[in-house]
Amino acid sequence: MPDVVVVGAGLNGLVTAGYLAKAGRRVVVLEQRAAVGGTTVTEEIAPGFRCDIVQHDIGWLPPRIASDLGCTGVELVRGDPAVVTPLDDGRSLQLSPDTAKSVAAIRALSPSDAAKWPEFSERMSRLAGFLEGLYFGPPPQPLRSAPRDLLALLRLGRRFRGLGRTGMIDLLRVLPMAVAELLDDWFEADALKGTLAAGAVSGVLQGPRSGGTAFGLLHHLVGQGAFRCPASVRGGVGVLAHALAATARQHGAEIRTGAAVERITVKDGRAAGVVLASGEELAARTIVSAADPRRTLLGLVEPIHLDPDVALAVRHIRCRGPLAKVNLALDELPRLPPPGLTGHGVVSISPSLDYLEHAFDDAKHGAISRKPYCEIRVPSVLDPSLAPRGKHVMSVLVQYAPYHLRDGWTAAQREALGDAVVATLAEYAPNLPAAILHRQVLTPKDLEDGWGLTEGSLYHGELSLDQILFMRPVPGWSRYRTPLDGLYLCGPGAHPGGGIAGLAGRNAARTILKDTPRS
Amino acid sequence: MPPRYDAIVIGGGHNGLVHAAYLARAGRRVLVLERRARVGGAAVTEEIFPGFRFSVFSYVVSLLRPEIIRDLELPRHGLDILPLESTLTPLPNGDYLAMWSDHDQTRRELCRHSPRDAEAYDEFGQLMHHMAMAVKPILGMVPPDPTSLSPGDLLGLARLGKHFRSLGERHFHALCKLMTMSSADFLDEWFEFDGLKATKAASGIIGTFLGPRSPGTAYVLLHHYMGEIDGAFRAWGFAKGGTGAISEAIAAAARASGAEIRTDAPVARVRVRGGRATGVVLESGEEVQASVVVSGLDPRRTFLQLVEEHELPADFVADIRRYKFRGSSGKVNLALAELPNFTCLPGVGPHLRGAISISPSLDYVERAYDDAKYGAFSRRPYLDIVIPSMIDPGMAPPGKHVMSIFVQYAPYHVNGGWDDAKREAFGDAVVDTVAQYAPNIRSAILGRQVLTPADIERITGLTEGNIFQGELALHQLFFMRPTPAWAKYRTPVRGLYQCGAGTHPGGGIMGASGRLAALQVLKDGR
Repeated sequence: MPDVVVVGAGLNGLVTAGYLAKAGRRVVVLEQRAAVGGTTVTEEIAPGFRCDIVQHDIGWLPPRIASDLGCTGVELVRGDPAVVTPLDDGRSLQLSPDTAKSVAAIRALSPSDAAKWPEFSERMSRLAGFLEGLYFGPPPQPLRSAPRDLLALLRLGRRFRGLGRTGMIDLLRVLPMAVAELLDDWFEADALKGTLAAGAVSGVLQGPRSGGTAFGLLHHLVGQGAFRCPASVRGGVGVLAHALAATARQHGAEIRTGAAVERITVKDGRAAGVVLASGEELAARTIVSAADPRRTLLGLVEPIHLDPDVALAVRHIRCRGPLAKVNLALDELPRLPPPGLTGHGVVSISPSLDYLEHAFDDAKHGAISRKPYCEIRVPSVLDPSLAPRGKHVMSVLVQYAPYHLRDGWTAAQREALGDAVVATLAEYAPNLPAAILHRQVLTPKDLEDGWGLTEGSLYHGELSLDQILFMRPVPGWSRYRTPLDGLYLCGPGAHPGGGIAGLAGRNAARTILKDTPRS
Repeated sequence: MPPRYDAIVIGGGHNGLVHAAYLARAGRRVLVLERRARVGGAAVTEEIFPGFRFSVFSYVVSLLRPEIIRDLELPRHGLDILPLESTLTPLPNGDYLAMWSDHDQTRRELCRHSPRDAEAYDEFGQLMHHMAMAVKPILGMVPPDPTSLSPGDLLGLARLGKHFRSLGERHFHALCKLMTMSSADFLDEWFEFDGLKATKAASGIIGTFLGPRSPGTAYVLLHHYMGEIDGAFRAWGFAKGGTGAISEAIAAAARASGAEIRTDAPVARVRVRGGRATGVVLESGEEVQASVVVSGLDPRRTFLQLVEEHELPADFVADIRRYKFRGSSGKVNLALAELPNFTCLPGVGPHLRGAISISPSLDYVERAYDDAKYGAFSRRPYLDIVIPSMIDPGMAPPGKHVMSIFVQYAPYHVNGGWDDAKREAFGDAVVDTVAQYAPNIRSAILGRQVLTPADIERITGLTEGNIFQGELALHQLFFMRPTPAWAKYRTPVRGLYQCGAGTHPGGGIMGASGRLAALQVLKDGR
């Protein structure tokens, strides 16, 4: 009988399995899909065309995780320029991890913005550094009085003071602020503000003028340099998943795909095992779910086992996924304005704050954004193995396609979404529509049906101020344990949330090892 | 020649008057200088049309701190607050939602729309009561500076931490949600009936430039729950004789304690010598000395107009420039030949003795915000209507009535700027909206006064027409109001203090800022 069953082989599930197996636990990982990786997969969308069909940006993979697990053979690629934002006049803004290059690029739009860019990046990355300190390990608990908790609060207070006066004031002002207001305080160039704001609101059903969205800017800066540099993997993000799976197996973990878990069994108040769709039962002392908290606690566990107040709090976790994916097999390279698609960076359709706000307005009232924010990657430019010779594959992350569409998602709405995206991209690359050989569109509903993501939320719950730190996933249960003894959560639904590959999984594993010392 | 006054208060708004009254009660010689012909600032009653008296700007009161009412014995000086008895929300389908001061009546009414909401309403009310009690002590304290290491601040922070930890998990977590969520999301967790959620959410956006779906609006909901009238914890009310009667009562209390109040006395500059405030210079050129000068004006007017820039540190001036106003509300005052006849509840009835809220759905209020977000006044605005003459007959000639309409949204930075034509168009949009629910309104109008944020700024001096002297946004509150280093009523100029709503705890006719600033002046031994 295994010591631990891990439900779900996404990045976090694989990382948790790796740490537990390395610590000598007998671990079985059960993945419902045919391949490991969850939403971090590279699959064929048409004969010979391989694409990162859901996540095409793994955010930040803390180096410590790969080294702790001994995971090798994964080459992370970041573009330089990292983000290219086409402008209406044919030029484009190219932001680079190299501050000097960014200053030069911004100067073309606004000399005063260029002058402020170094200080802005330095101050924001110092705040992100403060958050990074909070992300390694369970969040501090303001109300608990155990010595360990008081010590953690004391350390937090000291690290807060360590920011210095400007840093402290910046943090307290920025966290509740609308990202549009923060950026308006600093900059004037529309494309610069639009691009930074897009990174901040990605994955959240809010617009740049909504309060609390500046937190998103800081969150996605954690572990990164001056600004959010999307990161991919040579050969596709799926390579990372397979490498983590191989590492876990090396440490002794067993990974079974096509093994959908239907129920988590409970015996006298404890999680006792799982029942698969096939009917097979697997008992284990510890169950770790990488599925989102609502699916885990209200779907896999029968509600009668949960305290009503906790069940209500779990039901109130807002997921409402705003993201969709459009993946295209192309006959030729789309001719975007210079520099076009030169490297591993992304092209971002985010010309201004108002563009994003109008896109949000449509979603706020239950419709697809007529002019959506798009983040485009054409990995085949530098990775010819992903498409037949001379042809290309394009991956487009689209916001806003609200899960709660006014009349619900239908095949016709799916096509309408695909058309809106292609029409938006065609404004910048007129040759695109004719070059499309095949089109795959994944709506939030498709993400829910295909990957079990409640309301299509890639981050397993909106990253908003009321759903982070000690409030994530629900107040009182933010340290990977759940009200059911023996049942843990290890996905982005737990602290620190999505955009930081595998960190929730690592934190959960360390908590489990502390709770279940080797007898 | 020693100064004739211990303190000069610039601005006779209600915070300035409360401040002067407290200093006078402590035996200080105080002079209040008010630019206009009457005291009160935005809390004034004026006879706009012969025989028709209006609470021209702010129109209901509830957040006047009880300790101020007691300390200044305001009832003895004429303060008489008549409770607001109901809130009626007419609905587009001809139905309505009415919330009464009588608890059971409200439950029955809610049951009509949603039995589940009627059930949840009591529990929601209890939670908001606990939340108001949890926040109440903060309204009465000088904000500690979390970035400073001074013993006083560390003690203040420790006391604050102990207070929040004493709430217990359930209430502490509810307070965290309230401080970070949008009013729409917060209310969605409690209620299903859209008319109820919209009417509650509307009180969360008053005085802000946000929509109900934006995080940071849920806690403003609480701001308006803090109302205390004769112990009824959550009730809005009218001041008998209009909102100006509050200012007059406070002024009377200040004079009774020896304070001197001069109107038609606009101040041009604060006199500063050697980094110290030594008095003021009036626009007439007259100079008045005092050992302390206290400004009741908003932070931008105080620091960027009354004080020369070279007297202030550069980063302070930058912070003040960044402090947001963005007035978002207007006012329409109507003299009426007859009462409005709401088709959902025809004829005269108790529903006209309270507020009438045009907030039929969350989408309605959000779309009103969408218009303003892009620089237009709302085509279909949120309205908070009261008819003071229903319970205070003296406000209008016999058989006639006055109607006060608070309107959101009307952005100060409207596209192309405000002019007469746009003001009238704005007024028409408001009357058209009322007419949807009370068709006889147009024929009943004897006189109409329309106030845009530009008008509010011109008349009362409130920068960008913001009725709270600065947006009630989380990053502009508590120890950050008006700027992080200067939230304890002192300013970078020695002897110059600030006591208006641009300081903690913010606006809403509370007087708390005026009182706390006075305690600080007295503590500093001036």
